[in-house]
Amino acid sequence: MGRGLSRTLAVAANTFRETVRERVLYNLVFFAILMTLAGLLLGQLSIRQDEKILKDIGLAAMDLFGTLIAIFIGTGLVSKEIERRSLYPLLAKPLSRGEFYLGKFVGLGFTLLVNLSVMLLGLLLTLAATERRPDPAMLTAVYPMLLGLLLVVAFAMLFSTLTSATLAAVLTVGVVVVGRFANVIRDMREVAPNVPEALVQTLFAVVPNFANLDFKNKVAYGEAVPLGDLGWITLYAAAWIVIVLALGLASFRTRDFR
Amino acid sequence: MPELERGATDHEAPREPVVLAKGLSKSYRTGHIIQGRRSALVDLDLEVLRGEILGYVGPNGSGKTTTLKLLVGLLRPDRGEATILGEPLASRVWRSRAGYLPENPYLYDYLTPTEYLDYAGRLFGMPRQKRRERSRELIALVGLERSAQLPMRRFSKGMLQRAGLAQALVNDPELLFLDEPMSGLDPIGRRLVRDLILGLRKAGKTVFFSTHILSDAETLCDRVAVLRAGRLLKVGPLGELLRLDVSHMEVLASGIATTAPELAAAARVERVGDRLRLEVEERSLGRVVTAIEAAGGRVLGVQPVRRTLEDYFFEEMGGAPGASAAGAGAWGEG
Repeated sequence: MGRGLSRTLAVAANTFRETVRERVLYNLVFFAILMTLAGLLLGQLSIRQDEKILKDIGLAAMDLFGTLIAIFIGTGLVSKEIERRSLYPLLAKPLSRGEFYLGKFVGLGFTLLVNLSVMLLGLLLTLAATERRPDPAMLTAVYPMLLGLLLVVAFAMLFSTLTSATLAAVLTVGVVVVGRFANVIRDMREVAPNVPEALVQTLFAVVPNFANLDFKNKVAYGEAVPLGDLGWITLYAAAWIVIVLALGLASFRTRDFR
Repeated sequence: MPELERGATDHEAPREPVVLAKGLSKSYRTGHIIQGRRSALVDLDLEVLRGEILGYVGPNGSGKTTTLKLLVGLLRPDRGEATILGEPLASRVWRSRAGYLPENPYLYDYLTPTEYLDYAGRLFGMPRQKRRERSRELIALVGLERSAQLPMRRFSKGMLQRAGLAQALVNDPELLFLDEPMSGLDPIGRRLVRDLILGLRKAGKTVFFSTHILSDAETLCDRVAVLRAGRLLKVGPLGELLRLDVSHMEVLASGIATTAPELAAAARVERVGDRLRLEVEERSLGRVVTAIEAAGGRVLGVQPVRRTLEDYFFEEMGGAPGASAAGAGAWGEG
């Protein structure tokens, strides 16, 4: 293993340890499981819709709480290190700023993977408890969800290199909200024909379309997600993640730590 | 470059510089709406020689921390260059042979010192067994054995300082940059760090440390670099900076009042407990001693007046001279 990779993984492992020891994480996972159980109660109120409602609410809870973790821990990852100056002794070691930045990203990415797995396991157990067959197709909704969360982390880290943790969180929430309604921007001229086409096209291009990564409804309704679609969204998310990470890294590399 | 006096090291073989800074300058942006720039460091030329302890002293805001941050790569210089251990500043090669303790270090409070040192060791590519041994060694060295498994959020400022020092030593560095290493330490901690720094010199390491506690600089340093308002005033061995002032003698006497007319020839009279401390011009010494004895007093001792680093500072920087009598050896906070 290369020295650089080994250092990146050391930072990632420490970031994972940090997030695991953050109490906020457990609160969010607890609420996600609570929401899934609430879905169980709601399901009992609807005739023959219980499985769909359970999956729907369970996946929505995973997405919502995963996004909250990605935003609130993601924005603190770098900015907290800068504010508290805990990165000073590290950057004086043979650790490059790039390795540090990527290590932080990988560490939180791994935390999100573990969290989604725990929440998915909770959902599967709930389904099993109601004598429903665990549905492996749910993975086809969770995988794109993870890609979306990694993109949210990349944005959170980018903003946190530019501004305070609070403002970075606000900006990240903004990107997530706009990104989830990116199709509305695309179709804006249908309701507001006076808006210049170029403006609509530019806006649509600079915001990631999180709707592309949302397969929750399809899976809840029992529709299959084609493998080709998964391949395409993998490339789509990867391209966005690489671009946003590169921007964040460029900002982090040139920063003075006063 | 300010005068470079070798003094105590003149008789030894010339030592190579392990830090060589030329024209290093840094300014910071000020203001949000109307932006200006404030110079923090101006054209710093400095050498740190192998095996020495160089004290970097100056009042708060004089540019000490800026210099150290520039050297370890936390800040980018506006202009100028430096080589460290023979490598260019921007290189990361020398970093595996150097250690750095920032001022008031904040270490991850969710980690124990053992975990933190293990993490630091991983960044140097040390194998697990070696990391384990080194952590144990360092924790004992800085006196944190009893707290080795406690999360650092429970640590006092002094304990954090010790843990910070341990992480700076994890790779057994040849060169150490220490920013205010005594800050926040109690007398036992200060003694420990002082002994540790002296031990490092004995082991052939080079230590470049900043301090505003002048007594620490006096106790530890081979040479001192004096900084004021971002400019290097002087670099030299302490002996040169604090040369004996043979024109004045210090007389310690008892059994005589401070107001006695016999003491009129003394330049300065000060009561220290039941004794008097007089500063007397050398040519008046005989007259004052005779007068004290004639008035029934007793002369306990006579020696040349020795300037402290603090006296030097107040003279160079135009501060209040009275503070030197307190002997605290420090000024300002932080």
